[in-house]
Amino acid sequence: MAWAALAVNWLLRPKRPQVGDQRETYECGLKTQGPTWVQFRIGYFLYALIFLLFDVETIFLYPWAVKFQVLGLFAFIEMLIFIGILILGLWYAWKEGGLEWL
Amino acid sequence: MITLNHYLMLGGVLFVIGLFGALAKKNAIAVLMGIELMLNAVNINLAAFNRFLNPDKVVGLVFAIFVIVVAAVEVAVGLAIVINLYRQRLNTSVDEADWLKW
Amino acid sequence: MPVWELLSVELLTAFLGLGLLVLGLLVPKGQKRGLGYLAALGLVGIAALAFALREAQGVVWEGYIIDPFGTYFKLLFLFAAILTCVSSFEYIGRLGNGEGEYYALIILSTLGMMILASAGELITLYLGLELMTISFCILATYRRGDMKSAEAGIKYIILGALSSAILLYGLSLLYGSTGSTLIKDISLVVNSGGVTPLMVVGMIFLLGGFAFKMAAVPFHMWAPDVYEGAPTPVTAFLSVASKAAAFAAFLRVFFVALGDSHPLWAEVIVALTILSVVVGNLVAIPQKNIKRLLAYSSISQAGYLLLGIVAFSTLGVGAILYHSMLYVFANMGAFMVATVFYNADKSDEIQDYAGLARRSPLLAAVMLFSLLSLAGIPPLAGFVSKFYLFMAVIDQGYIWLAILAVLMSMVSVYYYLQVVKVMYLGDPPPGRPAIEVPLGVQIALACSLAVLFLFGIYPTPLTNYAFSSAAAFFH
Repeated sequence: MAWAALAVNWLLRPKRPQVGDQRETYECGLKTQGPTWVQFRIGYFLYALIFLLFDVETIFLYPWAVKFQVLGLFAFIEMLIFIGILILGLWYAWKEGGLEWL
Repeated sequence: MITLNHYLMLGGVLFVIGLFGALAKKNAIAVLMGIELMLNAVNINLAAFNRFLNPDKVVGLVFAIFVIVVAAVEVAVGLAIVINLYRQRLNTSVDEADWLKW
Repeated sequence: MPVWELLSVELLTAFLGLGLLVLGLLVPKGQKRGLGYLAALGLVGIAALAFALREAQGVVWEGYIIDPFGTYFKLLFLFAAILTCVSSFEYIGRLGNGEGEYYALIILSTLGMMILASAGELITLYLGLELMTISFCILATYRRGDMKSAEAGIKYIILGALSSAILLYGLSLLYGSTGSTLIKDISLVVNSGGVTPLMVVGMIFLLGGFAFKMAAVPFHMWAPDVYEGAPTPVTAFLSVASKAAAFAAFLRVFFVALGDSHPLWAEVIVALTILSVVVGNLVAIPQKNIKRLLAYSSISQAGYLLLGIVAFSTLGVGAILYHSMLYVFANMGAFMVATVFYNADKSDEIQDYAGLARRSPLLAAVMLFSLLSLAGIPPLAGFVSKFYLFMAVIDQGYIWLAILAVLMSMVSVYYYLQVVKVMYLGDPPPGRPAIEVPLGVQIALACSLAVLFLFGIYPTPLTNYAFSSAAAFFH
């Protein structure tokens, strides 16, 4: 039924060629400036990489935060070690110039 | 009624699509995307098994969280290596069509 | 025994790895040579500790098992890591980038292997595997500005990630069909006869994933390319330690968790063994590059190690333990020679090894005896270990398989001796000076030679240790 409805629609609908800026990328109602398919600088990639890692690692913090009262001191210390290792990674990125805008 | 089998089928289909992408694509980024799909298929499997087999324990969900984190790390390293390769092949201006052939 | 003491080897390794990373940040550029010495010394200390704890047995929690079997493998990884660090000082110092990180990555990948060898639970196993693989991916690309190295890295990350995804799918099916990720619980379900079709599919995926890490044919395609492109010390470490780690994890999963379904997967292992031994040895013959030759030889070694799995007995597991330990020293010896030679001549081609015996008798001798040990010629240690592997399969009635393996061993003698012929009978290219071997590497080379001779002539201590570890594994 669903496919039939789609097929009927396709058969019956008026076929107008798209003219003007109908095929343009929509960007807040204004015309886009320059080509949209451009290469990004490598600098963005480094930021994205560091952001991605820290973003994903925080996934471990949520279950721990929810059950914080139950898990107690041992889990707290474990989490401190985990965060410490993460901070080590941040320090590494900083020191190696990963956070500088080239 | 959606049963375990439906989820497993979804997971299986996603896994096969990912495998196809990983094997058939020429672009290294696309290959990595295919591998991501395979890992997400695994996540669907794990979450579904956890929900339908023993919802009391959260082993499957914990497994899925670890898979997500490891996948992020894998992609970060993978992209860095791809960029390393890309820079070299451009600098040394070896035949550009060669750089993804194996 | 308290948990701290059981876990001390892993904890110290993690601490050493992270500590080196921090030190690498604090030490100014150009003075990082000391980090390598520190890494090697630290690893020696950890190895001594692991040796002292070799009888330790206990369960940290249900998913992390400390037993003599795991500790045996940990010692093996540590020895391989020590030899790798010693042979890297010169090589990595010349690369001039990221010395601190290099040793940290070596140690972190060792940590991953240790976790793999002790994992009694699927999530832990997966994490150990990934820690090892991802560290190796970075190490493989370490020669910045070298196209081969970049290509090796990308091949390893893509094929490695693909194989882990396949393995992971198998793990998820195994979890789904048994309802637990603990190897102990899985084996209970399998023992009570609960082998479902889902589990069989999972097993196939698992086999594929593990065979990839072992570099067994037909999952070996990555090995020659990655081995050739990666920095030579990394290749050495990759070829011995990651293979051994894959075997350790395979034994835990398939012998303990899936032991009762042995008839289901035995035939597949036999096929993998035959293919690895035959293809590995035959394709090695025409190789011109020493690293590629050793890559194919390591594929065939994976086949010999698989014989122990085919046997599915205490003798088989003991033979795997024994052979993999000696394989570490033989292969590391050969690769250390290749590293020193590359530092001097910037070449890995076998023809450039001409007259090596006159330029450096020590290097040529170590290469000779390492290769002979790999081929299994008495009185070197490789002979004894191969003998045990063949005995293990003959014990189970696979006489034809043993005969095939012996025949292929003879083929391997041919290509190993070709290298020897070039080294001893060839004339050195005119104007090439004698090769100077750094003191640390000299000691490491002498140690591995000593091990090969000692355990070839008097194998009892190591066989006793290996077989008692294997017996403990089956308890």
